[in-house]
Amino acid sequence: MLSHTADTGIEATADSPAALIQELATGMFGLIATIGPRTAEQWIAMRVESATLEDLVVDTLSELLYHFEVGDIFFCEFRVDMEPGTLVVTVEAGGVPIHTVEPAGPPIKAVTYHRLTVEERGQVWYARVYFDV
Amino acid sequence: MRQSGDVEYRRITDVLWELPPHDGMRVPGRIFASDALMDQVRLEHAPDQVANVAHLPGIKEASFAMPDIHWGYGFPIGGVAATAIDEGGVVSPGGVGFDICCGVRLLASNFTEEDFEQQREAIMVSLDQRIPRGLGKGAIAPASLLGEVLERGAVAALDAGYGWQGDLERCEEFGTSAGADSSVISDHAIERGRRQLGSLGSGNHFLEIQVVETVPDPIAARAFGLAEGMLVVMLHCGSRGLGHQTCTDQLRLMGAAMSRYGITVPDRQLACVPVRSPEGETYLKAMAASSNFAWANRHVLAHAVRESFAGAFGISLDETGMRLVYDVAHNLAKIETHEVEGRPAELCVHRKGATRAFGPGHPDLPGDLQPVGQPVLLPGTMGTASWVLRGVADNPAFDSAAHGAGRVMSRKRAKQQESGRAVRERLEAEGISVRPGSVGLLAEEAPYAYKDVDEVADVCVRAGLAAKVARLRPVGVVKG
Repeated sequence: MLSHTADTGIEATADSPAALIQELATGMFGLIATIGPRTAEQWIAMRVESATLEDLVVDTLSELLYHFEVGDIFFCEFRVDMEPGTLVVTVEAGGVPIHTVEPAGPPIKAVTYHRLTVEERGQVWYARVYFDV
Repeated sequence: MRQSGDVEYRRITDVLWELPPHDGMRVPGRIFASDALMDQVRLEHAPDQVANVAHLPGIKEASFAMPDIHWGYGFPIGGVAATAIDEGGVVSPGGVGFDICCGVRLLASNFTEEDFEQQREAIMVSLDQRIPRGLGKGAIAPASLLGEVLERGAVAALDAGYGWQGDLERCEEFGTSAGADSSVISDHAIERGRRQLGSLGSGNHFLEIQVVETVPDPIAARAFGLAEGMLVVMLHCGSRGLGHQTCTDQLRLMGAAMSRYGITVPDRQLACVPVRSPEGETYLKAMAASSNFAWANRHVLAHAVRESFAGAFGISLDETGMRLVYDVAHNLAKIETHEVEGRPAELCVHRKGATRAFGPGHPDLPGDLQPVGQPVLLPGTMGTASWVLRGVADNPAFDSAAHGAGRVMSRKRAKQQESGRAVRERLEAEGISVRPGSVGLLAEEAPYAYKDVDEVADVCVRAGLAAKVARLRPVGVVKG
């Protein structure tokens, strides 16, 4: 978790871009609420295509926030796959009803491009993302 | 990307600091701050962001920062930038922010603090029940109103039975942003807004019951409808998920379009295009529609506040005397005419966490406010105070002033100082009733997380940004 005067951000590492997006999604929802040892009760599926890897991170997290807000679902499980050689991900996100979770912080309302970093560092993929709350 | 500490501002006056243009900056960076406030500002990235904004094509005079400046995205919170439309000046969604047309509304009343004491519990319980806030808690107005609201703002809410006719005279833009076009609002944004019209939100959004404690300017206070000892209600919220989604959508479009105009910026959150371009015009239409949601949102919430007070006292809505003092935005870009280099120029004035502050005689003010200037609402913290200021002549920052106390501590650090329960107990011990959306999150908004609002108000006065009218002391808080 990264400190920001008004808002908040996260850093994540993973061994592939798809795994990185999965880590970022887990981290983003971890800032919003805690649910303890529960498993997802409902699932959504989505496909996101973007022009760059940075855009793909922002667009995918933004799409998850959209489904979180309009579906009243708090997402806690993610399966992210990236089509080889493309900037296209398919995401299955599972969650629980929003009224059953305990807030850990104010709801995140948007994903920003501020100081956005998505890059390969040696053998791992690294990302830094700030959110508007 | 500039890093904190890379830039050094030099003192110009006791409340003005300047960074001369260099490394692609088109104008200087200017921060209005006292020594104490500047010491806090230097600890974070906000001064670098002031410098980054100075790169925007067409920017005039300076990249300004108000005394409540703090670290934002692209623009600092408290940032003001005006671009010359006829010279290829740009519009940047980052200069408006995600919460398009977030703002503050202040209601006067016929009540005193003694009246409040008699009905304190009934009022707090009623507000707690009537004001939707937090995660997935719904809204007051029906989704069927959304289409009209996007086109006509508070006027549509008024036609639907919320609020009073006289309210519109006391709204910036008279409650409706011109040029709105709901057809450029995405389906995602519509879906996010459908269940949020008449809801407070979360984070730093609030509803406060306050007492007018002191009145440094009785003449302006009278014109605003305020008097010492009066109970007032202040609301802070914006365009909710609809505005956030619109900003996200438009940033994506502008990021892709910038290269077509040969524009580069030091932070992608500063994505921008010429005001006079298809993308610029589309953004302004979408921003206006989102603003209309925000005007209407505060309008609907204010109606619920009036109903709560009327119900608690067993009187009619009219008998509450809860007239609108003013509703002012602090996240907007507006086309305004200002004098630049001795000549009037049409500018796109971005105010991100900054309040429009028209001085006396400005033609866009309603007649009864012309002699004294526009009310400027400066919310503080739930444990300290808020201020009502007024616009003054010869404002040095395109008729702009501060918008609040401004954060000084991160949410994470604030929560490490005290628990939400402890914050609530301390406020209650000080006579401030608190109804939080979440007790656990209350610490993030604790008074110590913000700058000293009295210092911010003082700097506004000393810098010629605004003048003091009334200081407000909180007695009840409903937090998002």
